[in-house]
Amino acid sequence: MTKQPRMGRQAAVDFLMEYLVLFVIVALVIVTAIVEPRFLSAQNFTNLMRQFGPLSFVALGMTFIIVGGFIDLSVPGMISIVAMVTLSLVDVIGELPAMFAGLVLGAALGFVNGTTLMLAGANTQAKALFITFGMSQIYRSLALHLTGGFPMNWGTLFEHPMPVTRALSSGMWGPLSISFWVFLFFLLVLYIFQSKTALGRAITYTGGNLTAAELGGIPTKRVVVFIYTLCGFMVAVGAIVLFSRVSVTVPTVGTFFERDAIMAVVVGGTSLTGGRGNVLRTVMGVSLVILMSNCMNLLGVQTHAQEVVRGAILVLAIWLDHRRHARG
Amino acid sequence: MDNSDVILSVQNVNKSFPGVRALTDACITVRKGTVHGVVGENGAGKSTLMKILSGVHTKDSGTIVFDGQTVENTTPIQSIRSGLSIIYQEFNLVNTLTVGENIFLGRYAEMNGMRNIHKNARELLDSIGSKIDTHKMVSDLSAAEKQMVEISKALSFNSKLIIMDEPSSSLTADELKQLFVLIGDLRKKGVTIIYISHKLDEIFELCDTVTIIRDGKVIDTKPIAELTRNEMIAKMIGREIENEYPERPHAAGETIMNVETINTRKLKNIAFELKKGEILGFVGLVGAGRTEIVRAIYGADKAKELKILINGRKVKIKNPRDGMRAGVGLLPEDRKLEGLVLPFSVQANVIMSSLWRISKFGFVNASKEKEIAERQIKSLSIKAPSPHTKVKTLSGGNQQKCIMGRWLEINPDILILDEPTRGIDVGTKYEIYLLIKRIAENGGSVIMISSELPEVLAMSNRVLTICEGRISGEFNPETDSAHTIMDAAIG
Amino acid sequence: MNQNVQAVGGPALKALGKQKAVVAIAIMFIVMIFTDSNFYTPANFSNLLEAVSTNAIIAFGVTLAVICKGCDLSVGSVMAMSGIIAIMLLNSGMHMALAIVIAILSGSVVGFINGFLIVQQKSEAFIITLGMGMLVQGVALLLTNANPVSASNPIFQRIANDNWLGIPNIAAFMIVLGVLTYLLLRFTSFGRNCYALGGDYEVAEHSGINVVRTKWLAFVLTGTFAAVAGVLAASRMNTGLPIAGVEVPLMVNCGVVIGGTSFAGGVGGVPQSFIGIFVMFLLRNCMSMLGIHPYIQQLVLGIMIVSIISLDCYAIKRKKEAV
Repeated sequence: MTKQPRMGRQAAVDFLMEYLVLFVIVALVIVTAIVEPRFLSAQNFTNLMRQFGPLSFVALGMTFIIVGGFIDLSVPGMISIVAMVTLSLVDVIGELPAMFAGLVLGAALGFVNGTTLMLAGANTQAKALFITFGMSQIYRSLALHLTGGFPMNWGTLFEHPMPVTRALSSGMWGPLSISFWVFLFFLLVLYIFQSKTALGRAITYTGGNLTAAELGGIPTKRVVVFIYTLCGFMVAVGAIVLFSRVSVTVPTVGTFFERDAIMAVVVGGTSLTGGRGNVLRTVMGVSLVILMSNCMNLLGVQTHAQEVVRGAILVLAIWLDHRRHARG
Repeated sequence: MDNSDVILSVQNVNKSFPGVRALTDACITVRKGTVHGVVGENGAGKSTLMKILSGVHTKDSGTIVFDGQTVENTTPIQSIRSGLSIIYQEFNLVNTLTVGENIFLGRYAEMNGMRNIHKNARELLDSIGSKIDTHKMVSDLSAAEKQMVEISKALSFNSKLIIMDEPSSSLTADELKQLFVLIGDLRKKGVTIIYISHKLDEIFELCDTVTIIRDGKVIDTKPIAELTRNEMIAKMIGREIENEYPERPHAAGETIMNVETINTRKLKNIAFELKKGEILGFVGLVGAGRTEIVRAIYGADKAKELKILINGRKVKIKNPRDGMRAGVGLLPEDRKLEGLVLPFSVQANVIMSSLWRISKFGFVNASKEKEIAERQIKSLSIKAPSPHTKVKTLSGGNQQKCIMGRWLEINPDILILDEPTRGIDVGTKYEIYLLIKRIAENGGSVIMISSELPEVLAMSNRVLTICEGRISGEFNPETDSAHTIMDAAIG
Repeated sequence: MNQNVQAVGGPALKALGKQKAVVAIAIMFIVMIFTDSNFYTPANFSNLLEAVSTNAIIAFGVTLAVICKGCDLSVGSVMAMSGIIAIMLLNSGMHMALAIVIAILSGSVVGFINGFLIVQQKSEAFIITLGMGMLVQGVALLLTNANPVSASNPIFQRIANDNWLGIPNIAAFMIVLGVLTYLLLRFTSFGRNCYALGGDYEVAEHSGINVVRTKWLAFVLTGTFAAVAGVLAASRMNTGLPIAGVEVPLMVNCGVVIGGTSFAGGVGGVPQSFIGIFVMFLLRNCMSMLGIHPYIQQLVLGIMIVSIISLDCYAIKRKKEAV
């Protein structure tokens, strides 16, 4: 008799926990819209869309790493080197080939990360954290070396008109910006990849229980190398969108991207213990992060107070994740 | 009975774990200054009883009186301080600390500094005739030396009763002799020893009294002089093989796998054959190398030398996928850590190994996925509300069936089952036996490892005994007695 | 065990594992004899010592966390925050000693929260401290509006910059704290219990050690040490910088591991950590003395981190396979 209502409450709590981000997003939208009507203006919508920029691509890639039970701190280094190499190749081989080269380079760097980890036998998140941090140092110093530490400016530096970069930067197609279309494209592809393909499933198994997956015939080592390669590729996409936005690119451009990407993924509800989560959750996480800063901006919250709020939310999200894991 | 010389009295102790009744009305009386043997098969309830005594588990009911004091809810440290120490098979030592520090672990302030710790540790070790340097790291010690450290640790608490759980399992013959001498000395000093072992020779050589435990019940306690070896084995194995097992299949055909040699750090020149349709049982103590053999065959562990012919062809197995490709399947020993992804659904766990088989151009065929899950749930009668139920909510037996289902879907030529019925209720056990039988009758070959001797003997066509990393004998369970086989397994 | 490691070609690995840092230091000192640089000058040594000092102080704290099988990535932000708090309180007219004590306590508070989340709530140490680092970084930015703050009281500057018997004060602080930590780890129950629970949490718990309180305290001390380093760094530059980034904590944690304090827990100590930090800064110093480009310096450091941590992982992996 007493058990029934308790179980009902338990189910309600579980449901709330499961879709916590969604509730928070909705609440945030409602409250901000009431307090500050400008929030619902068309201009703010364009603004929001624009902010769905580089971070969302990086976060998509990071999702697979975290679902696979690992972590990647080499993002800042990869962004630097990909952005700088792509920009310097533009006047050598043209804009599109340069971008293509940038994407290949990103994937290659990710491949190096994954291979290094597997050769060293680094099979835990903590070990991956330090090794990828070292990798980030290496990549960034290579980027600095390559450019001599000078910023690069695609607006004036090259003779090429760089139409693709310009389109990525500010082009619109229908109601949405072109970079947002690109984002939707990758979201769709990666969502299908994760839920429908064997390799996508293998990533989840690897993150769920590495030993069991290995004994069950899943090629876990290759899976790990793959997720790092995929992440490297997505980081490269993010890097290209990033330099299209800022027009002047400095070699340290990627700073804090790894942190924000991990935050978006975890806030979205993808578990750091691995095996649980997907790209849709990451979209929710990224949305929350972007919405939150948008709302706080509109409401006039000081920039640095925003940092504190973001940090608090990250800690809260990790803590909730561990609570959830400990209970279930 | 005169109670003045009773050090430990256990009366009607019961203990259940979810789904398993581990101890039923256990009663043991241990007299001061004796060496009291406890024998029983794996899973008989010996370790549960010892863990209740040492305060790791709490009993459900019953009374325990130790040294004149009734023991209620105790913790490990309380129980040690009250004079009851236990030395586990896998030692309770911190590998990264020195010998001296381990002996006085957690008592730094009490001991007044490191110098005193090493001084006292030295004295304790000297008193048992051990020459281990107290400054040595425990990770650098041999098993025998670690045991000495554990004994010194027990003595440092002025223990009146020391429980030794399988102390001989990793000792050489010489080291064992030394241990016996030491136990003799301790007895003279008035220390009581409870000696848990499989090895009956040791029990007969060492113990004054012996208690036999089976299926969570105390079967008998007798002075050693009143028991013969045969009687003891009979009481350990207990129940005659009745209707607990299905009729064993007789489908053995020609050789399918020829293991020419396996050498690892632990295994020495393992060689055997497996026939088509045969159920081959591996009998041996925990740690004898049974699991290591099958893991090497499946590619789960690296081997120094691995020569295997399957269907007459030489196969190279370096990882589990090679093993799978060569037609070998493994149901691992620890289903929770090595077999299942616990937070995932039944369906996800069942289709894990078929992932690429049911994919076209890399895309998983969702209807086939569902089909497989439903087929296996039905044919194995896995009790789950739906294929999407999470496996962590299932009972042990149903969890095991999920892994079985995974392999049946792939249908490997050779299926290796490592402890397939551990921690599973009797009803489900029978279902698993039927499954094994079905596999063999359909031409599959099975290697079965189990710590429950009757089970292996009732199911197998042939039995290999494994002792200290070697194959020590080959038997026909239909003609050779359980006694002979057990004898070969315990060396 | 010993034999096992040897059989897999381990002696070289093992020797390297124990002495790699010392060997590296020796090589660097020898190489520098033959180069035409200002390496062997008192000025350079004093520079080197000063550079090592703050990081070594953080490293002593981190050593405690790593011995307890944890790690702390919030130390960089804590360092930034405590320096800022000290200077801001000082500028507001507070007594210097009190301002410094409050600044240091702020680090203890962060350590306390870290300990709560890691030990009590069993969150993964490295990820939760990464998050805490971010939060604390936000606090530092909020306090200063992202601008560096300078102390108005000239005495504050002297805390770190004066000399005492020819030793720069900051180095003296490091030595004192190092010795204290060494004694703490070596000669107190708390210290010994840290090693025990880092080596085997369950055995330690069963032996009656209050594992939760011990590990929690270790994290509090880690935060405190980072705050001390922060105050000293602020004093040295007479400025509190709000931006710390993720580099400092990762470098320090890596330095600790390079010195031989393994992530496996239960091993290591103050001298090892000092050597680890020292070798990293010595390498940097040598490279700049040789006129090597800063970018290449960063590259070399990155390679060093990757290879040392990989070697640590690889040794653990081989050991596991051998058993």
